[in-house]
Amino acid sequence: MELYELDLYEASKGIKDKKFSPKELFESCKKRIDSCEDKIHAFITRTDGTAPVTENPNGIFAGVPTVLKDNLCTNGIRTTAASKILGNWKPPYDATAWKYLREAGAVLMGKVNMDEFAMGNTCGNSAFGPTHNPNDISRVPGGSSGGSAAAVSAGYVPFSLGSDTGGSIRQPASYCGVYGMKPTYGMVSRYGLISYGSSLDQIGPFARTIRDLQLVMSVLAQYDPMDSSCFREKNPDFTHNEDASIKGKRIALVKEFQNFTLDAPIAEAMKKTQKVLENNGAVITEVSLPVVSKYAVACYYALAMSEAHTNLERYDGVRYGYTVNDAAGIKEMFERVRSYGFGSEVKSRIIAGTCLTEPSRCDEYYVAATKVRTLIAQEFIRAFGECDFILQPVTPSLPHKIGEEDEDAMKGYETDLYTLPVNLAGLPGLSFFTGYDDATKLPVGLQLIGPRWSDSEILNAGMILERHLGSPKIANGGVK
Amino acid sequence: MSELTFTPVIGIEIHIRLKTDTKIFCACSTDTDAPANTNICPVCMGLPGSLPRLNHNVVEKGMLAGMALHCTVQPRSLFFRKSYFYPDLPKGHQISQCDLPVVADGYIEVHDAEGKLKKIRVNHLHLEEDAAAMHHSASDGRLEGASTSYVDYNRAGMPLGEIVSEPDISSSAEAVEYAMNLQRRVRYAGASDADLDKGMMRFDANVSLKCSDGRWGRKVEVKNMNSFRALERAIEFEIKRQKKILQSGGEVLQETRHWNDAKGVTTASRVKEFYRKFIVEPDLPPLIVNQEWIDRVTAMMPEMPDVRANRYVHDMGLTQEAADILTDDKNTADYFEACVKAGANPVRAANWVRTEVLRVLNEMQKKISEFSIKPEVLAEIVRRVDDRKLSTTQAKEVFDYMCANDSGLDDAVKKLGITEGGVAGNALVEIIANVIKANPDVLAEIQSGKDTKGKKFKFLQGLVMKESKGQAKPQEVVEALTAALKQ
Ligand SMILES: [Zn+2]
Repeated sequence: MELYELDLYEASKGIKDKKFSPKELFESCKKRIDSCEDKIHAFITRTDGTAPVTENPNGIFAGVPTVLKDNLCTNGIRTTAASKILGNWKPPYDATAWKYLREAGAVLMGKVNMDEFAMGNTCGNSAFGPTHNPNDISRVPGGSSGGSAAAVSAGYVPFSLGSDTGGSIRQPASYCGVYGMKPTYGMVSRYGLISYGSSLDQIGPFARTIRDLQLVMSVLAQYDPMDSSCFREKNPDFTHNEDASIKGKRIALVKEFQNFTLDAPIAEAMKKTQKVLENNGAVITEVSLPVVSKYAVACYYALAMSEAHTNLERYDGVRYGYTVNDAAGIKEMFERVRSYGFGSEVKSRIIAGTCLTEPSRCDEYYVAATKVRTLIAQEFIRAFGECDFILQPVTPSLPHKIGEEDEDAMKGYETDLYTLPVNLAGLPGLSFFTGYDDATKLPVGLQLIGPRWSDSEILNAGMILERHLGSPKIANGGVK
Repeated sequence: MSELTFTPVIGIEIHIRLKTDTKIFCACSTDTDAPANTNICPVCMGLPGSLPRLNHNVVEKGMLAGMALHCTVQPRSLFFRKSYFYPDLPKGHQISQCDLPVVADGYIEVHDAEGKLKKIRVNHLHLEEDAAAMHHSASDGRLEGASTSYVDYNRAGMPLGEIVSEPDISSSAEAVEYAMNLQRRVRYAGASDADLDKGMMRFDANVSLKCSDGRWGRKVEVKNMNSFRALERAIEFEIKRQKKILQSGGEVLQETRHWNDAKGVTTASRVKEFYRKFIVEPDLPPLIVNQEWIDRVTAMMPEMPDVRANRYVHDMGLTQEAADILTDDKNTADYFEACVKAGANPVRAANWVRTEVLRVLNEMQKKISEFSIKPEVLAEIVRRVDDRKLSTTQAKEVFDYMCANDSGLDDAVKKLGITEGGVAGNALVEIIANVIKANPDVLAEIQSGKDTKGKKFKFLQGLVMKESKGQAKPQEVVEALTAALKQ
């Protein structure tokens, strides 16, 4: 067994027990990256030229390597959000989430690929080219945090960070066969996360075991005065507890989603998972989410794009990033910088956001969406009065081939319905591994969501599921 | 046909810099003397990933300013993103409370054309961030046509309160009184230094005309006034301009105009305003102000100038004029009250402060806080005059000496050779004897009974006063001199 195959818990224990040195672990991971990266292309910027020294040799991550989605700011290290517009920008500060990991001893292997400004779900919409799924390099890893999911799946690092605005952690975790946690909005500081939809964005971890997610969450979930939306009074406990139980927990399926079509492996996974839950004493029930199923998708896009286009107004070439020096005036400078710097998906979302907030339409779209959002949050509160968790797919199908588009528009809509409402209501969502599809050998993931601040309980349930469904293996990474 | 008359309808928007040590959404200093681009950080530079966090001192200063304008604190207010592209705006949008402000519904009193008091309603004060300062190398100071422009982001994120009046103002004179009154009140409240020279107070005016034939001119927004004089001139220019258009049957366009102070004209703004509804700032939660906080800030509110002046008139017997002068600046009023508290008679203390103290400060170009004579010392001077230890003339000499030489009271008295408590008894008798001795001819004339009108007596009396350096009491001099002449 190679050191890179160790999970976070084992790696950090091995270092503490002096079974191997941080440098040996680092070299093993680096070798693994060197052997797969040509096929997978998960990195935008590698920082593993020389073995970095851990900042905290006694921290819980002392010497354990990690990677960050490239929309998380890293002091002095290029941060691109996978866009040309940021050019060679090196932030003068660390994102709080990375600062916490660093202070706990983690070392950085690099910044990984994503859809530009987190807009997309394939990791193909990047100025640095697409990332490939380590389970099958002809397929997409999912997005937007595709690089973070692929890096953990391929065994580059035992854990990584991504961000989730409408499924951007849960969907790639599912596609790549790893665990991914989208925490409750406000659980993890967003300071230093390059914003897409500020009221929807949340940073979260990827790992190959639930215990590792718990470890990372215990470090990430700290109050940060730099983020005004960050929690204050909550005191989450992510301690790993083997005795945690789901006995008597009511786990609901969403009534309105039951006649959606699912690919066979996913439908099977749903059945298999329900059985595991029941065998462990949980009760399977049903809840109704009529407002969510009717309005959540439209509501989400109206809000995400309205927020996104204002978040992207700062990229004008004046202070940082890509710029032109020979423009005839300030207007031409703005036009040329933004025309060249943004990719087409980003541009269309900026245009949509501008239209949605334009005075003659603002009430009808943006303002209406803010009201619908309140109704959606209330509907979830009501639903979680009737159940403890909701079980549902992350996507109705397995990852498609790179370059292929899903032609079925209805399926796209249903895909969105599985992920977006969670962000609208600020809920925690866990994307968990259920096994491999026999035919394609692709991993199959599902999703467990809970009420706000139930993150640690979701992870406890996830631990029981992992015990019975099995943990994912490291993907071959295109290397036979 | 009767002559058309026009009534101006004017509303004013005033930006004031709220007085805090740090900016509104980050911990950068608000020091205005710092070198360019030194008071900056990821937040006020709008760097990717940075998030604003509200400085609660700014909220408090906004509440104080609002209270000074008789506004009510709103329990819940919001921040919005107001978008436009310009290099002075680091995020491409300004964070502003827009129409859900922290304080609302107040008023300021001004005098109308007939001298009667009139209330100008204050719609609200909202909190927002300032933009960066631009420096252009073009001759007219504008961005267009400039070959090079520089941006100083020290100003980006400075805390502002925008105070929006209702269109209750009818003349440039009312507008200026409104603005001056507002300045005095927010200064009193400690909410803003409102220093015009430092750009801490800026004006925009909405001007339209109502015609006696029923026509209404459209609202014109005039921007870029940085002094009371500019405010006055810009409004007057705009009234004249619009009147001329309406008189000739033309139509006033709704537009934004730019005040050119050097040329004394308003010109149509070349930049088209980009109108957009504002989205809620998702990075800041709603601002909730509970009663406890309101109570705490209310307790911080000092007495306002008009209330204070009233008290001076009714409780201390000052004239309205004196009370107004003393209360114009809070520090002056504080100084005056400290004098009274130290035991000075209020009316005489008021005279000293408004004449001598303000004169000297004006001559020395100093603020009252820098004045070397402490209020307790001035109170002592006033008291010594009351006790006849010093004559008024002597007191002023002493005061001037103290100001010029930075010396203490007793030291000044000594240096000026004044014997306190006056010249009396043997000392006076001695002086009189010397005076008589030196003027035998005058003595002879009086004793011969020729001084029927008492002129010669007065002459001797004057000499005695002079010798005693004015410290003898006139009545005592008369008595002692009469007695001496009879010998
Ligand atoms: Zn700052």
